[in-house]
Amino acid sequence: MNVMSFLSLIIKNPFRNRTRASLAIVGIAIGIATIVALGMVTGGLQASTQSTLKAGAAEISVAKIGSNTFGSSGGTIDESVAIDIKNISGVKDTAGILRATANVTSVTTTSSSSSNFGPMGFSVSGIDSTKLSLVGIDSVNGTSFSNEGLNEIILGKSLAQNLNKTVGDSINLFGTDFKITGTYETGSFIQDMGAFISLSKLQNLTSNQNKVSTIVVKVNDNANVTQVSQTIQNTYPNDLSATTAADQANRINQSLGVINTASWAISLLAIIIGGIGVINTMIMSVFERTREIGVLKAVGWKSSRILAMILGESIVLTLVAAVIGIILGVVGVEIILNLLSSTGSVIKPVLSLDTLLRAFGVALLVGVIGGLYPAYRASKLAPTEALRYE
Amino acid sequence: MNEEENIIEIKDLKKSYDNGKIKALNGIDLVVKKGEFISIMGPSGSGKSTLLNMIGALDRADEGSIGVAGIDLMESRDLSKFRSKEIGFVFQMHNLIPNLNVLENVEIPMFETSLSSKEMRRRALELLGAVGLADRVDQNPTKLSGGERQRVAIARALVNKPSIILADEPTGALDSKTGDIILKLLKDLHTKEQVTLVMVTHEPYVAQMADRILNVLDGKINEQKKDESDLSVILKKFKQKA
Ligand SMILES: Nc1ncnc2c1ncn2[C@@H]1O[C@H](COP(=O)(O)OP(=O)(O)OP(=O)(O)O)[C@@H](O)[C@H]1O
Ligand SMILES: [Mg+2]
Repeated sequence: MNVMSFLSLIIKNPFRNRTRASLAIVGIAIGIATIVALGMVTGGLQASTQSTLKAGAAEISVAKIGSNTFGSSGGTIDESVAIDIKNISGVKDTAGILRATANVTSVTTTSSSSSNFGPMGFSVSGIDSTKLSLVGIDSVNGTSFSNEGLNEIILGKSLAQNLNKTVGDSINLFGTDFKITGTYETGSFIQDMGAFISLSKLQNLTSNQNKVSTIVVKVNDNANVTQVSQTIQNTYPNDLSATTAADQANRINQSLGVINTASWAISLLAIIIGGIGVINTMIMSVFERTREIGVLKAVGWKSSRILAMILGESIVLTLVAAVIGIILGVVGVEIILNLLSSTGSVIKPVLSLDTLLRAFGVALLVGVIGGLYPAYRASKLAPTEALRYE
Repeated sequence: MNEEENIIEIKDLKKSYDNGKIKALNGIDLVVKKGEFISIMGPSGSGKSTLLNMIGALDRADEGSIGVAGIDLMESRDLSKFRSKEIGFVFQMHNLIPNLNVLENVEIPMFETSLSSKEMRRRALELLGAVGLADRVDQNPTKLSGGERQRVAIARALVNKPSIILADEPTGALDSKTGDIILKLLKDLHTKEQVTLVMVTHEPYVAQMADRILNVLDGKINEQKKDESDLSVILKKFKQKA
């Protein structure tokens, strides 16, 4: 038999009743869009977490007990501790980092971009410029800041974009003008929304002489990260806490797991609600075409072909819904992320193959589940009854 | 019985509906020779369509025996292949599929064959030419007149080269002039293709075109002499006019 003619019939039939087909498609597409949007956000966060674990960067970060690793700012640890930790066996290098929040008031507004907002704060870190690789900055676009007392700064890529600044521009922080000598990109959205200047400069500007907020620790290639972390912990009991990057990533991944579960739950909901919608749509369609199905049987169509036709029509509906849902999800995620953060797209949503497969998998499942019963009913119609149907 | 000659052999065929309350067929005996043109008459509800459906294997009988084109329809399990190969139906209503064009409607029965799409197209076009619709093949059936639609249905019935055409009041929904064109077409195709034609009709003058006329009454057949009915028809028409 001729496959192409049969397929073209299957593709044409669902759209005979446009309104009904559209309704079914919209319902399923919304479910698929939600799955895609959540998948993209999860994927973006995952990629960001992974880049904090990248090679070359410090594996352990040390902070004052009670402060959180990301947010801790101000000088709470004496910078000499960094040198002490460096002497612990297994440690290759350390760097003290001072964090402060800077406010920029004069943001250039351009007519084309969406960066039309008032004062914004961002995190400025002070570090020895030779130790940037410990925070995952391997290369700077432009040149790095100098440690020699010059007012120089490098900005994370996202921050530079949001501030509408490029290399060579200057920026006023803590009452001082800084020259932007370079930009960097680590892939971690938190890092890329920050800026780095020389440690001593920040210490002077914020009156935190000889103080740091965190100490990042890089271990020797052959050393055990967990063991070194434990040793540091034991050296400064009740004072400092050491966290490995892997621990941090795990913690983030746990939160991602929650989103992931939610995403699966929505997938399941989409399957159930979408499935009911498709069953309804297809039963109506079979009902209306009772006579036609009788004719198809009269001209010699096998029951199995009628089953395949109706099932195929149902799958066509849901696959079209999948395509529309994916487009809706991708566009929707960009719009929502842009609306949520006035600072622009901080999280870069990632559309992974996994998410695409899940979207199509759910659509296919809905198509099969929703189409099976109507298709079975159609295939079992008695031809004489069907032909008598008014 | 001669398998070569007889294409339909029915013996004491019975079919009832509603748990036996309605005896649609009540002991039908019928033998039709290959290439014959039979017309079936009878009052409404007498069982004409039921008989046709039995011959076309659209439904199963309760009792008796029925053999069509050498196939025992009481025994065979899957009858779709039989319908596809041996039977072409023409109904009172054309029953065309509205979202397919004329050509595609005629191609539909060939889906169960091993023909290539090129061959399907060629056959469909050939038959649409034969029913005089060569220039309407791309049109939607909703744009055709009743007679044109019925011609498409005839092309569809013939496309698989069936050995029997079963026509259930093929002109019932048409005005008499259009109906005559359709009848002539059916009769010509029957002669040309040497296909057996079994036609249900309410019009005595239509029935006259057949080789034999069967009268169905309460699910039973009694054969009628052609000449006799001829006379009665003329008399009837004469009376009506008077
Ligand atoms: N599927 C069915 N279920 C119940 N009763 C049926 C069914 N099919 C036919 N019948 C009954 O069987 C009897 C014969 O019906 P059939 O359709 O064969 O009559 P007919 O001779 O074709 O009539 P008409 O000239 O009106 O088409 C009728 O009483 C009809 O109501
Ligand atoms: Mg009838």
